Amino acid sequence: MGLGFTVGVIGVLILGHAAYSTIQYRSLLKITEEEFSGPPMEVVLELLVGLLFCMWAALTVPGKFLSVHPHSDENRVVSLPENVDFMIFNHRGRAFSSEVGLKLKH
Amino acid sequence: MVTKTEESQLNKLENQVENGGGGAWEYLCLARKLKVRRSDKVLKYGLSILNDSRKRSSLGPDEWTLYEQVAVAAMDCHAVDVAKDCISALQKKFPESKRVGRLEAMLLEAKGSWEDAEAAYSSLLEDNPFDQVIHKRRVAIAKAQGNISAAIEWLNKYLEIFMADHDAWRELAEIYVSLQMYKQAAFCYEELILSQPTVPLYHLAYADVLYTLGGLENLQTAKKYYSSTIDLSGGKNNRALFGICLCTSAISQLARGRNREDKDSSSDLPSLASAALEKEYKLHASDKLSVLTSTLKCLRVSS
Repeated sequence: MGLGFTVGVIGVLILGHAAYSTIQYRSLLKITEEEFSGPPMEVVLELLVGLLFCMWAALTVPGKFLSVHPHSDENRVVSLPENVDFMIFNHRGRAFSSEVGLKLKH
Repeated sequence: MVTKTEESQLNKLENQVENGGGGAWEYLCLARKLKVRRSDKVLKYGLSILNDSRKRSSLGPDEWTLYEQVAVAAMDCHAVDVAKDCISALQKKFPESKRVGRLEAMLLEAKGSWEDAEAAYSSLLEDNPFDQVIHKRRVAIAKAQGNISAAIEWLNKYLEIFMADHDAWRELAEIYVSLQMYKQAAFCYEELILSQPTVPLYHLAYADVLYTLGGLENLQTAKKYYSSTIDLSGGKNNRALFGICLCTSAISQLARGRNREDKDSSSDLPSLASAALEKEYKLHASDKLSVLTSTLKCLRVSS
């Protein structure tokens, strides 16, 4: 988790640096009065690297992903809940004596 | 809906608690959340927590939910005194509560005094005419007294007002099946499938009812619903696999005199189903595999 977090922070810093470089490049172009067509090659490369770092961190830091398939082996519905609202109490279980001495002691 | 992970978690906790490993409170919470009916264990471990004043005070405000859960479990195990004590403790804490009033009326039901319980529910309904649980308890009283037709009538009246209640539709379907009124049961299951189409067990129950009704169209529809059950449960539902084999054999028996064009289109489905069944049996019950193969052979031979 620590490694992923660090990588994420580095990715964000790289993106910030890329933004700063683009702004500097643009102000340089304003001085030489040229058109701003796009950031230079290095900045694009830097952006890609920052993107990769941030994505890797975003996938590893939160931890284990849960399955969403409803028919996967861990998510499949095995039984329905008992209908508790319609539960009746005069079933054959009355004949079984439960443990003697079950009492609420206070 | 109880999923496989939740069920295994519940069983693991139950084993742990039974072998003295602690974790009773988590077991009780999980049992309450999944709405399983393990009343004897809930009663035993709930009482062990409630009787220990240190553990009781560590629960905080959840203590009263535990009282309610133990009271219902005690009524289910016919330990009426325990239930009475729990309910009086709750009454001391919440004197004017409708929830406690409901529990008291359930206690009258558990004791068997049906008229008193009926009167208690009617008085509770006067204050709050749209309380769903009280309506359902009236149905339960009728069912417990053996008066199934009154139960059906009450339940139909309830469903006219509260049409979205899945539990009530399921209860009505089960009552109709117990009375062998399969067409009405099929209607109830259709309602359930419409409202919750991703639960495979409703498809399975509907397919069972259709198969019981019989007739060529019903059998073909039943086969489709068994297939959808297999699809939704990831192929692990043995009952649906058996259902497909039985449906195919029944359809081919019925269609023996007629033309058999449409049978060849899906002729690999029963063989796939039987292969899956054999694999499951080899994994879990290998000594019964020979019985299974001979049964499947009979189903295919007689068609």
